[in-house]
Amino acid sequence: MAAGMGQQWVLVEMVQAFYEAPAYHLILEGILILWIIRLLFSKTYKLQERSDLTPKEKEELIEEWQPEPLVPPVPKDHPALNYNIVSGPPTHIITVNGKECINFASFNFLGLLDNEKVKSAAQASLKKYGVGTCGPRGFYGTFDVHLELEERLAKFMRTEEAIIYSYGFATIASAIPAYSKRGDIVFVDEAACFAIQKGLQASRSNIKLFKHNDMADLERLLKEQETEDQKNPRKARVTRRFIVVEGLYMNTGDICPLPELIKLKYKYKVRIFLEESLSFGVLGEHGRGVTEHFGINIDDIDLISANMENSLASIGGFCCGRSFIIDHQRLSGQGYCFSASLPPLLAAAAIEALNIMEDNPDIFQTLRAKCERIHKALQGISGLKVVGESFSPALHLQLEESCGSREDDVKLLKRVVDYCMNSGIALTQARYLEKEEKCLPPPSIRVVVTVEQTEQELDKAASILKEAAQSVLN
Amino acid sequence: MNSRGMWLTYALGVGMLHIVLLSIPFFSVPVAWTLTNVIHNLGMYVFLHAVKGTPFETPDQGKARLLTHWEQLDYGVQFTSSRKFFTISPIILYFLASFYTKYDPTHFILNTTSLLTVLIPKLPQLHGVRIFGINKY
Repeated sequence: MAAGMGQQWVLVEMVQAFYEAPAYHLILEGILILWIIRLLFSKTYKLQERSDLTPKEKEELIEEWQPEPLVPPVPKDHPALNYNIVSGPPTHIITVNGKECINFASFNFLGLLDNEKVKSAAQASLKKYGVGTCGPRGFYGTFDVHLELEERLAKFMRTEEAIIYSYGFATIASAIPAYSKRGDIVFVDEAACFAIQKGLQASRSNIKLFKHNDMADLERLLKEQETEDQKNPRKARVTRRFIVVEGLYMNTGDICPLPELIKLKYKYKVRIFLEESLSFGVLGEHGRGVTEHFGINIDDIDLISANMENSLASIGGFCCGRSFIIDHQRLSGQGYCFSASLPPLLAAAAIEALNIMEDNPDIFQTLRAKCERIHKALQGISGLKVVGESFSPALHLQLEESCGSREDDVKLLKRVVDYCMNSGIALTQARYLEKEEKCLPPPSIRVVVTVEQTEQELDKAASILKEAAQSVLN
Repeated sequence: MNSRGMWLTYALGVGMLHIVLLSIPFFSVPVAWTLTNVIHNLGMYVFLHAVKGTPFETPDQGKARLLTHWEQLDYGVQFTSSRKFFTISPIILYFLASFYTKYDPTHFILNTTSLLTVLIPKLPQLHGVRIFGINKY
């Protein structure tokens, strides 16, 4: 091993140095050799694997366990077992169980479900592309209609970029966990819809609920967070904070106070995610949603998410915002990367619907006028109170005094709905997964206003509801 | 580190570093060996025990955000073969370095301190421990 320059490193010299080595060095090397031997013979073990139960206790636990039935017993009149069957498209006139009714239940706000132009665009796209895409966006599932729809949506909402999801529920449920991880804090309204709740659950972040539309409560929570941050500034530097609100809440029909939220955002440095499923295509002069309604600069909102299943009468959802934010979802949005992309015929239908929305900006005003009309007409029904803003197209009718239990309320409302259905008005109750919701809203009838309903029909619906309430509740 | 050929690649990498250091004419052989040892341990410390989290997005929703690479190795299972390899290789390098520096005291101090900085964080008792709160968040 003759290496190096200048000195001859003969092996003899080296071994001699070994004999003359200082004792402490050799002792240390001996310890290290022993350590290596111990290492080589130690078993792998997981750090947290400590079960403190003796075998006897384990046996006892196994004895006590009773298996739950695979199919729990369900009462015969459970609503999921007796559903109404719709034949034909759920447009303005809907055929429920063979009876024709005026549709006050489908979220077809702009009446685009049955629009001839939309249907012909969809059929042309069906002839060109076939029905499905058979692949996620990253795997030959991106078609030019998808890119076109994304561009059009971004231009319509006046943001930098938009991203399309193929299922409306999955839009917000994938967008939230893409940004918010373990250790991050999300302030969310109590009346947030189920999709948001699932997104928050998937994100594993710390959730702080504030009372519905109560900015004082939110400010209190933000202040508490700020004091905690000051105690531990290094931790605060790596936690991200978000506020998730809806534009028009599906569960209550209220609007979120966006200007105050923007002020809170800049004061406490949190990011806002706005979910505009009900307000896209409804609020604002051109239908751009809550931001246009309040006249707020769209760059103040970090992410706007909406589903296209309400106003645009298509399937799927989109998120829009700055490029920097939306681009992140292209790799971390689970619903984007791991689901098949939107069928091209639905994307073409959505593009056509956007065209119609851009060409006729007066339908939004008409829709809001009709909402106001029915809101006024439904006031003063004995036994039912109207919950929701006057310009919200989906409002709830809740019982003024509850019967005591939720099932009784639900049954009573079902009788009201059945009476209305027999008289030709199709309504529905707002349905929830009772065990899974965080803050279960009281049972209610949901009345949806669309642009296609004439004023006589609105008045007729109001009068039939009055009769139904009179006969059932009194 | 479980993939085929990684151990050999690692050893060759360290050997390459040593040859580069040996070929610089200013360093004598003991200095080159001590430098190899120190640089290897410094690199190991930075990459395995100082840097936290992952350089790419993982589907675990940020569970490993506050863990160093050593703590994330093999999902926290101790004494797996990769961990044993990483623990033994600085010790072997230390033996070689102390042999070639002829057990000189100054080199001894340098090599031993650098070995300790790399061996102590690998103990299972120090899993997740942050001394004085350094590098905690």
